Amino acid sequence: MLIITLQRNKCIGCNYCTELSPIHFRMSKTDGKSVLLHSVEKKGFFTLKTPNDHDYENSKKASKACPIKIIKVTKK
Amino acid sequence: MGKDGRIELMSPAGDWASLQAAIDHGADSVYFGVEQFNMRAVSTTNFTIEELPEVVNLCKEKGVRTYLAMNTIIYDHDLSVIKKVSNTAKKIGVDALIVMDQAIINYARQIGLEVHISTQLNITNIETVKFYSFFADVMVLSRELSLKQIQKISKQIQREEIMGPSGRLVEIEIFCHGALCMAISGKCYLSLHSKNSSANRGACKQNCRKKYTVIDQENGFDISINNEYMMSPKDLCTIDFLDQIISSGVKILKIEGRGRSPEYVAVTTACYREAIDAIANDNLEEKNPDKWRERLNSVYNRGFWSGYYLGKKLGGWSEVSGSVAIHKKVYLGKGRHYYPKSSIGEFIIEANAIHLGDKILIIGPTTGVKEIQVNSLKVENHYTKCADKGQICTIPINFRIRNSDKIYKLVKNDVNHYLTKK
Repeated sequence: MLIITLQRNKCIGCNYCTELSPIHFRMSKTDGKSVLLHSVEKKGFFTLKTPNDHDYENSKKASKACPIKIIKVTKK
Repeated sequence: MGKDGRIELMSPAGDWASLQAAIDHGADSVYFGVEQFNMRAVSTTNFTIEELPEVVNLCKEKGVRTYLAMNTIIYDHDLSVIKKVSNTAKKIGVDALIVMDQAIINYARQIGLEVHISTQLNITNIETVKFYSFFADVMVLSRELSLKQIQKISKQIQREEIMGPSGRLVEIEIFCHGALCMAISGKCYLSLHSKNSSANRGACKQNCRKKYTVIDQENGFDISINNEYMMSPKDLCTIDFLDQIISSGVKILKIEGRGRSPEYVAVTTACYREAIDAIANDNLEEKNPDKWRERLNSVYNRGFWSGYYLGKKLGGWSEVSGSVAIHKKVYLGKGRHYYPKSSIGEFIIEANAIHLGDKILIIGPTTGVKEIQVNSLKVENHYTKCADKGQICTIPINFRIRNSDKIYKLVKNDVNHYLTKK
C-alpha cells in the first residue's frame, strides 16, 4: 500500500513533483498549485492510498525535492 | 509621486497588522503579495485573492495607493491563474502590478492595468528604461547602481521625455531601507541549488545569512577570515543621505520587508515619513538623522550600511545571523476586552510578566502597531506593580483594543551576547 499526502495550500507551484512523479501529480491551471491525483481531501490535507506502489521511488524523489516539504510518502 | 509633489513612500504589507501599521504611520502607498506569485511566497502570510477587495478598500479609504507584487518567474501552468489575479486586481482597483515576467507585463497592458517593473529585472541603463517604457510607468532600478548612475537615468528620462503608457514621464523607484541580497536580485541560485527552493519563486532559504568557513582543499587548513558571515550583507539604510536621494530625481522610495514584523513596518515608515517631510519643508530643526537612525536601530536589522548608492565597492557584512536591533519584543498575552467609556483595556497574561513602567506593543490585524507605556496597572480591581502569567490585568489605553490583539513587552536586546556567541 502506497500512501501519499499533500498539504497543497502551501504549494508554491515549483513543478518538481510533476517532473519526478507525473503519475501522481499534476499542476492545476486553476490555482497554479500541485494536484495529487485521485486523492481525498480532509482539512487541507490531500491523501492518496493505493495498492499500486510501483511508483514509490519516484514519489519519494518528489517528496525529497519539494522545497516546502509538503509531500509525505509511506509504503506499508 | 507622493502628496504635494513629494517623493512617494511605499511600505511593505506582509499581513493585516503590517498593512494597518503602514497606513497609520504615513505610507503613501503599500505593496503586498497574493497567494504564491511573489518574492515572499513562503516567508510571510500573504493575502488571498478573496481578501484583496478588503485590502484595497481599506487603503482607498485612507488615500493610500495599492501595488500588487507578482514578481516571480512564471511557468505555463501559472498562466491562467495570473490572468485571473490580474483581472481581479483590475476589477477591484489595485493601482498597479509589480512584475518581472513578460507574460504578466503583456497581459496587464492588454487589460489596461498599470505596470511597475520589479527590481528583479535589474534595470541598469537608459536604453532598458526606453524598452520597458512601452509597457510600464514606474521602474524599480537595480539595487546595485550608484546614486550618480540613478541620477543620470532620471535626468535622461526628463531630457528625452521618455513616457510610459499613461502618457506621463516614466518614474524611477529605488529601495531606501531593508535587506540586501549578496547576489544581484533575481540572479541568485544558491537556494535553488542547495535545497531545490527557488528564490525566484519566492522561496529563498537564505543560504547567504549563514556562517561559513573557507577550507584550503590542498592542505585541509581553515583559512582565517574576519567574519564567518561572509555572504550576508548588512541592511540598507539611507536616512543619513535621503536629501541626496531625493535630489537625484527618484520619484518613489520603497522600504523592503514584507517578511518582517509589523513594528518594523511602523518604525521604518514613520522615520522615513518624518525625514521626507522635513526635507520637503526644508526644516533644519526637524532634520535629525541620529534620532531616526536610533529608532530604526530599535527594530529588526542586521546592522546598517549605505548600500551601493554612495559608490562603495565592498559592502558591510553582518556579524550575526539575525537582528542586531537594540530592542526585542517578548510575548506577554492577548487582548480580552475594551471599555470605551473608561478607556480601559483588559488583557490576559499568558507568558512572562508585565510591570508598571514597561513599554508595551499592542499588535493586531485591525489595531496595527501601537506602542504605549504602562503607567497604571490593575489586577482584580486593585492597583499593582506587576501582573504574572495567568492573571487578567487592565491598563488605561486611549484607543480600542481587540480580542485579536497580542501584547508584547519591549526589552533591551543583548547584541553583544550574539556577537560573543558567534
